[in-house]
Amino acid sequence: MSTPKNPLELVDRYLQAVRFWLPKTRRQEDLLAELGEDLRSQIEDKENELGRALDKDEISEILKRCGAPMVVASRLGPKRHLIGPTLYPIYEFVLKMVVLWIMVPAMLFIVGLVNLANSHGDWGKAIAMTLGSLWSGAFVAAGVITLVFAILERTHAIADIACKWDPNALPPLEKTERKTSFFQASCELTFHVFGLVWLLLLPHHPFLVLGPASSFLTAGPIWSQFYAPIVLLAVAVIIRAVVILLRPQWGAFPLWSQLVQALLTLTIIRYMMNAAGGAGQPGWHPFVALVAGARSAEDVVHLTRLVAVINVSILLALVCTWIGVCIGAAVHSWQLLTYIRKRRISQEPASLQA
Amino acid sequence: MTNGTPEASELFENLKLELRRGCLTLAVLTQLRTERYGYTLRKALADDGLEIDEGTLYPLLRRLESQGLLVSQWREEDKRNKRFYRLSAEGKRILQQLLSEWQRINQSLNKILQEA
Repeated sequence: MSTPKNPLELVDRYLQAVRFWLPKTRRQEDLLAELGEDLRSQIEDKENELGRALDKDEISEILKRCGAPMVVASRLGPKRHLIGPTLYPIYEFVLKMVVLWIMVPAMLFIVGLVNLANSHGDWGKAIAMTLGSLWSGAFVAAGVITLVFAILERTHAIADIACKWDPNALPPLEKTERKTSFFQASCELTFHVFGLVWLLLLPHHPFLVLGPASSFLTAGPIWSQFYAPIVLLAVAVIIRAVVILLRPQWGAFPLWSQLVQALLTLTIIRYMMNAAGGAGQPGWHPFVALVAGARSAEDVVHLTRLVAVINVSILLALVCTWIGVCIGAAVHSWQLLTYIRKRRISQEPASLQA
Repeated sequence: MTNGTPEASELFENLKLELRRGCLTLAVLTQLRTERYGYTLRKALADDGLEIDEGTLYPLLRRLESQGLLVSQWREEDKRNKRFYRLSAEGKRILQQLLSEWQRINQSLNKILQEA
């Protein structure tokens, strides 16, 4: 820090520092000149009061009272914002929509799967690559959206839209409480009970799933490992349907139990895909296999191909189901969070909501 | 309850700022019925119990001038250039209306406070 010979030089240094943070316009120069005059008048007043010239520390004290140059400049300068209060809620909404509802699902279910395929099943590498893409993608998307809204703010384009709104185009009132209807709950329960019965009959009546092909096809080895967890999941689903039917007032139960159900389904499918092993290897028939019996060599070749095609199809179906349940789990999570948020808001006192 | 907490003090400061904002405009316009420059205006307001910092006063003076309520002029006094402000004709008319409104609000508020 340099010590000025003339203590009043501090005022000029102060004004120079304030000027640095102000836009270079005539209006700001005018304001600065007035601030300088104000400070000199304060010093002069104090000097008249004391009957002597002020020293450096006393002038410093006056400048300190005035405020840090950057703070003073922010008060003196024009009030600036990139996106104003009128546009900000729309900006926030669009940003959330694009980043949370478009970017994240697209990255997870499209880019993520491509990365998984490219990394030859290395989950860690695939996750790292997907997160990297998600970060850079979200950053660019947020930048572009911010730029577009900054332009809208500068051009006042939203003012025209705001003038043209129609009250009749407003969305209908939302239902405040989510409740599953009795009819819906009954149908779900009936469907799930039929599903469980069908599942229990399968080991002894493979015709129910294989149809006429049950004469030469049989269940593959994987089912001995996963049949019990699938039956238990089906039982849990029935219990859930019964609870929903008997306790319709439990608003959150259908939501969180659906999420738990989706997570359990995902776990089972994931283990099934792992247990199925590598497709296309000789003797790979995890889901369906050929029934042992006397056949011609030509029949064996033909049926072996058929079994391979069916096994690959089932594996692909499992992958698609896994992706579908993943999307479902994301939707259920969002619904549950929305429900919790709405409940919290409705339970808050009106004074806090204002 | 908000007694004594930092939130309470911040809330009070915000409400005080809101309350002061309109009053300051009225006080500045009233003081400028006679011509003054920035520092003497600040001093006059402070002497009457309404302290106002430089960062608030000068932008306010610019705004009132751009709205046509004040006129200003740079002039030399005591070998220094100073910007002198006074009410314009429009400013005088608006000030009368504002003062009437202030009286009306003040009376209403007094009545409400007496009833409470």
